[in-house]
Amino acid sequence: MKVEYINPFIEATYDLFTTMLGARATRGDVGLAKDQANPRHIMALIGLSGMARGMVALSFPLDTALNMVNQLLGTDIKVLDDTVSDAIAEMVNIVAGGAKAKLNTGDEEPIDLSLPTVVRGNSYNIDYPSGSIWLEVPFDSDLGSFSLRVTFEKTPEGDG
Amino acid sequence: MKALVVDDSAVMRKVLIGALGRAGITDVDQAADGKEAVEATSGTDYDVVLMDWNMPNMLGIDAVRAIRANGKTMPIIMVTTEAEKGRVIEALKAGAQNYIIKPFEPNAIVSKIQEMIAKAGGG
Repeated sequence: MKVEYINPFIEATYDLFTTMLGARATRGDVGLAKDQANPRHIMALIGLSGMARGMVALSFPLDTALNMVNQLLGTDIKVLDDTVSDAIAEMVNIVAGGAKAKLNTGDEEPIDLSLPTVVRGNSYNIDYPSGSIWLEVPFDSDLGSFSLRVTFEKTPEGDG
Repeated sequence: MKALVVDDSAVMRKVLIGALGRAGITDVDQAADGKEAVEATSGTDYDVVLMDWNMPNMLGIDAVRAIRANGKTMPIIMVTTEAEKGRVIEALKAGAQNYIIKPFEPNAIVSKIQEMIAKAGGG
């Protein structure tokens, strides 16, 4: 994965926070994602296919996830429930959608998005496809910390 | 005024229903995918439809085509993360009247809905 590919995903994350959540987010240093170095309470993943292949994951500790959902809906949800999962899924969808548009340099065929998947719980292992290189970006925000993980490669047809 | 909100995310439907309410539309039905949207529009006359793109069972773009093939002419606003120029053109060719890209500012979507209602002669 080329490091510059991470930038549209970072920008899309900022866009999500400023426009829909009315909050600021600031990123830390981009690094290689380590397997399970950063346990979280809820993670949403979405796949990219077509002119590129990759995955995007947003993972949140409980407090951040609840703060984001409550900010979005004006609610006072206190537990991880289906509403929180639904909202987190939509957020990874928005980040991936925004990033893939930024990566589209003109009249290329748009990259396709899968439907998002959400994993809840403290104790899970994700076995990523072998050979894939994931970059991780830690964020802090008005609503709490979270992290963005991305693996992304243009396919031969997308690179031409 | 009666609206249909189509999105597989219940949270996003709630956000959009809130925006419709601020635009003065409180009579709102919901559909969770394109197939449900086509079924809903075949039995009810809506004044406006808000349509997501990526949904299970039937994509929003295919639902727009099916709704137009059924002879329905109500305004359809795509509300989607699909932001590429090609997608916008595809949606407009399929029969959508307007296009809102997620993420959106809540007030911006209220203005766009009001603008569409005014154009459609609804107020």
